[in-house]
Amino acid sequence: MNPSVRIERSAEGIVTLWIDVPDKKVNIFNEAVITELGQALDEALAVPDLRALVLRSSKSSFIAGADIGILRQLTDENDAAAKARLGQRLFERIAAAPCATLAVVHGACLGGGLELALACRFRIVSDHASTQLGLPEVNLGIIPGWGGSQRLPRLVGLGQAMQMMLTGKSIDGKRAVRVGLADRLVATEFIEAGIQAFLAAIPAQSNAARTPSRSLRERLLDGTAVGRAIVLRAAKKSVLAKTAGVYPAALALIDLVERTYAGPLDTGLEDEARVFGQLAISRVSKNLQQLFFTRESLKGDPGLPYDGVLPPVDHVGVVGAGVMGGKIAWLMTHRDLDVRLKDIEWPAVAKGFAAAHDCYEQLVRVRRLKPETVNVKMHRLSGTTNYSGFGSLDLVIEAIVENLDVKRTVHCELEGVMGDDAILCSNTSSLSVSKMAGALRRPGRFIGMHFFNPVNRMPLVEIIPGEHTDPATVATVYALAKRLGKTPVVVKDCAGFLVNRVLLPYMNESTRMLDDGVDYARVDRVLRTFGLPMGPFELADEVGLDIGYTVSQVLEDAYGDRMAVADLLQVLYKEKGVLGRKAGNGFYVRNGRTAVENPEMRRILSTLKTPSTPDELSDAQIVDRAILLMVNEAARCLDEGVVANAAYLDMAMIMGTGFPAFRGGLLRYADTRGIADVVESLDIMSKRWGAQFTPAEPLKAMAADGRKFYNPETDG
Amino acid sequence: MKERVAIVDGIRTPFCKAGGVLRAMAADDLGAVAVKELMARTEFPPEQIDELIFGNVAQPVEAANVARVLALKAGLPTSLPAYTVHRNCASGMESITTGANKILAGQADVIVAGGTESMSNIPLMYGRKMTELFTGLFKARTVGARLKAMLGFRPSFLKPVVGLEKGLTDPICGMMMGSTAEVLAREFAITRDEQDAFSLRSHQRAVAAIEGGRMAEEIVPVPVPPSYHMVQERDDGPRAEQTMEALAKLKPYFDRQTGTVTVGNSCPITDGAGAVLIMAESRARELGLHPLGYLVDYAYAALDGQRMGLGPIYATSRLLERTGLTVDAFDLIEINEAFAVQVMANQRAFESDAFSRTYLGRDRALGALDDDRLNVNGGAVAIGHPVGATGTRLIITLLHEMRRRNAHRGLASLCVGGGQGAALALEVES
Repeated sequence: MNPSVRIERSAEGIVTLWIDVPDKKVNIFNEAVITELGQALDEALAVPDLRALVLRSSKSSFIAGADIGILRQLTDENDAAAKARLGQRLFERIAAAPCATLAVVHGACLGGGLELALACRFRIVSDHASTQLGLPEVNLGIIPGWGGSQRLPRLVGLGQAMQMMLTGKSIDGKRAVRVGLADRLVATEFIEAGIQAFLAAIPAQSNAARTPSRSLRERLLDGTAVGRAIVLRAAKKSVLAKTAGVYPAALALIDLVERTYAGPLDTGLEDEARVFGQLAISRVSKNLQQLFFTRESLKGDPGLPYDGVLPPVDHVGVVGAGVMGGKIAWLMTHRDLDVRLKDIEWPAVAKGFAAAHDCYEQLVRVRRLKPETVNVKMHRLSGTTNYSGFGSLDLVIEAIVENLDVKRTVHCELEGVMGDDAILCSNTSSLSVSKMAGALRRPGRFIGMHFFNPVNRMPLVEIIPGEHTDPATVATVYALAKRLGKTPVVVKDCAGFLVNRVLLPYMNESTRMLDDGVDYARVDRVLRTFGLPMGPFELADEVGLDIGYTVSQVLEDAYGDRMAVADLLQVLYKEKGVLGRKAGNGFYVRNGRTAVENPEMRRILSTLKTPSTPDELSDAQIVDRAILLMVNEAARCLDEGVVANAAYLDMAMIMGTGFPAFRGGLLRYADTRGIADVVESLDIMSKRWGAQFTPAEPLKAMAADGRKFYNPETDG
Repeated sequence: MKERVAIVDGIRTPFCKAGGVLRAMAADDLGAVAVKELMARTEFPPEQIDELIFGNVAQPVEAANVARVLALKAGLPTSLPAYTVHRNCASGMESITTGANKILAGQADVIVAGGTESMSNIPLMYGRKMTELFTGLFKARTVGARLKAMLGFRPSFLKPVVGLEKGLTDPICGMMMGSTAEVLAREFAITRDEQDAFSLRSHQRAVAAIEGGRMAEEIVPVPVPPSYHMVQERDDGPRAEQTMEALAKLKPYFDRQTGTVTVGNSCPITDGAGAVLIMAESRARELGLHPLGYLVDYAYAALDGQRMGLGPIYATSRLLERTGLTVDAFDLIEINEAFAVQVMANQRAFESDAFSRTYLGRDRALGALDDDRLNVNGGAVAIGHPVGATGTRLIITLLHEMRRRNAHRGLASLCVGGGQGAALALEVES
């Protein structure tokens, strides 16, 4: 086996350790690399007249982190802590080297990679866009375990370090120099010259611990117990506000830094390893680790296997300039595609422009984009009320009303004006793609491409090939979704596809809970506490009751009684004209920037409710009625092959509905609960609240065989 | 010209009063919208375009060579060269005639031409004294020097120089454009009432064109930034409720005491843009296109800046010489209405043997510009005059009307600040 570390000696007492992990695209730390780096270090330190030790990567990035596969296998707290100690000890030896140590950072320098760089006395960074320095451990439910939680705050100050470690976000080379993480920025094209100049300028034996310069503000905040308390309390408050405390790693990290920042490094490191060990084996971390692998596997998934060359997609049409169409137009123009946006009347087209511009405005507000850039990107969008310009488009997304006949008419019109090779996508949320394709002359070029609302927030795109859809069409649309920065999941052409089919029972069941006297705000609150980003009634307001009702009906038609539309939903939408947020008459109304319960809705409900049923549901029962009903339907989807596997299903629910990631997904949650318990609970609920809870056959079979959705052997 | 140049299609934005609806759009934004729509409607492959040439008068400081900027904003290929032309009010024609020259000289096959202007965005500037003070400040290296520079400040330095006003003033004769119009009113003895009546008719014709849906054929509606909630579908200058009484109430603007030219019988300052796709007639035929119309020939002429409003007759006289045509040969005529009196002065000059003898070296008058052939859909007095864009609009509007009437030959002409005129002979397939 090729060694991961190559030693290069040059005349002037300089030794370079070239890190190049064999058979990997990027450098990743595993035990072998740690061992080899240790051996190489021994060898280097034995060089007489050693003046400087340089750490570099032979690959196009520095070091992308530690091997998550190893992390996933950790099941014992002490074992995990020991693994952390192993890396810590190596990095301690680098930090204690009796010569200057220099990390040359070009490309990704994340997690363990940055911890290695932090152990060096000096860091120089390239100005390449790919150069990113960060400690993203918290995203996996753990904390940096190789000294990062200790060395980063000591180097760059508490505020900056907590910001980096708690968000997991990385910074580029220029910023790294500005915050004091790196010593010098070098032009990518002149890295060699930059290293030479840097080494020539540092005095020999320059390994003394450095006292970073601090502003007065930083000295007051970091240098005093009161100041530190202020910084860390603010950090904790922000974490709790964002995550309601369901992600323990961030809180553990704050506590750890609070305990260790002002103390000696070695006790800090020991503490760090201990906390790392605890977190690494926690349920939440295991869930997040699983999601990491699902994401990786989705990244490498081509959708459907297709070997041909994909046609270019640069000019796109969007038909229907509602909020959905407008935001799809935003997404396309944001990713530098030209968009022709069509609706029936110009004022409607302008609404689409406004929706697109709203998304841009949000990005300007958080300084992700400059107004000048927005101007240029908005110019990619043009409007029309006829199909002018559609003949030269590569692909068209239809995003009009969810009605089979209307869609069919528009599709036929589109086929008449579009080029023969152009692809037609329907952004349908529930209608059958094959059925829609029936009237088309080129069904091979037709496909479902279902975006989720709000398009600028929800990463999921369901790709739905119909029975006649060409593999090339699937591959093209799949690639397009990826290019748009979305996560595409190929799903089968059944009513509601995957996400809505699983989600709608939850919406309807939540509505039925109101018949049992439960307060809707309470349902929302309980399910938010469970981890959902919003409760079912908040979601109904957001999506619109009209859309919820339409989709529910499609599902009831397809699946029968178990998907029956809740009576109350019907009454609210059909009789009371409740639409939700867009009409300002939903379950909640806006009061400035916050939503408050709508008194009018309370009045309507009080006139409808049978007052005899008092609210006697426990929080746990609310969760079970809402969530286990989804599990039941998800099990059927998996059994019918609607989606490739349980991991993809979980990812789709997380990315399409915001199902809490710390729970690892819907089916992962069922696994954690225990399938037998799920089946039993469903059984009990079916007796009390109806046949929709009757456990699905595949679930019962799993319970009988003691199977889980995930393989406990490989999936942790 | 050795061959007709096909104007394959033309499109323009609505023309809107400056400081109004379109004020958040810079000249490059307006031009980009027109060009993008032109490309969408023609579905002409962008990679087959050789060059983009655009006319613009008040060239924005933040978009030097505005043609290149708007070409890229319109989504044309990075590899497409583009440049800006400036012949003041004729800039939107100059781009087309320059393009025609290039095509006929074999320098290009296909060109996008047009004109754009955002008179809303012509800046106010610091005067010379304030500029010098800043220069001194930037140069000062010591605190003392800086203080000394600052002590030179006087409040009067803050009085802005209005770019728009400067742009509408002829620096040679020192007259504002409106004052040159007053010169013509006196020379041709055109009364205030006559001017107002002409203006009223311009509004009535423009309103009829809008309400009859004729203008909509050449306009791309524009969702209006910054919020895009509203869409501008039509020109906002023409007033259905315009009356002689209302016009009579207005005070002369350029000559308060003895003048006749008011804001009511002059064109308003305006924002707008237009674009056309041009190529040799033979090329259009090869590609199987059905061009909107053809450019047959053109002429520019120059005269005394104080009488710049007569530019059209000077230019038309040369055009007739070149083509051997007579005024009667033109079924429809567009003469830009910078001022009502200026178009009326041309009408009188066209009919005058004396004028022809004195100024054009001809024995007899060129021939009458009858009201029923001239500016049949109204003119700039109602629609407005975004200086760099108007030339393009005249051609687009004229060709559309010629097609509607099954007319064969048209004349588009305008006067140019500084003392020039432009005249283009156009045809549609009949």
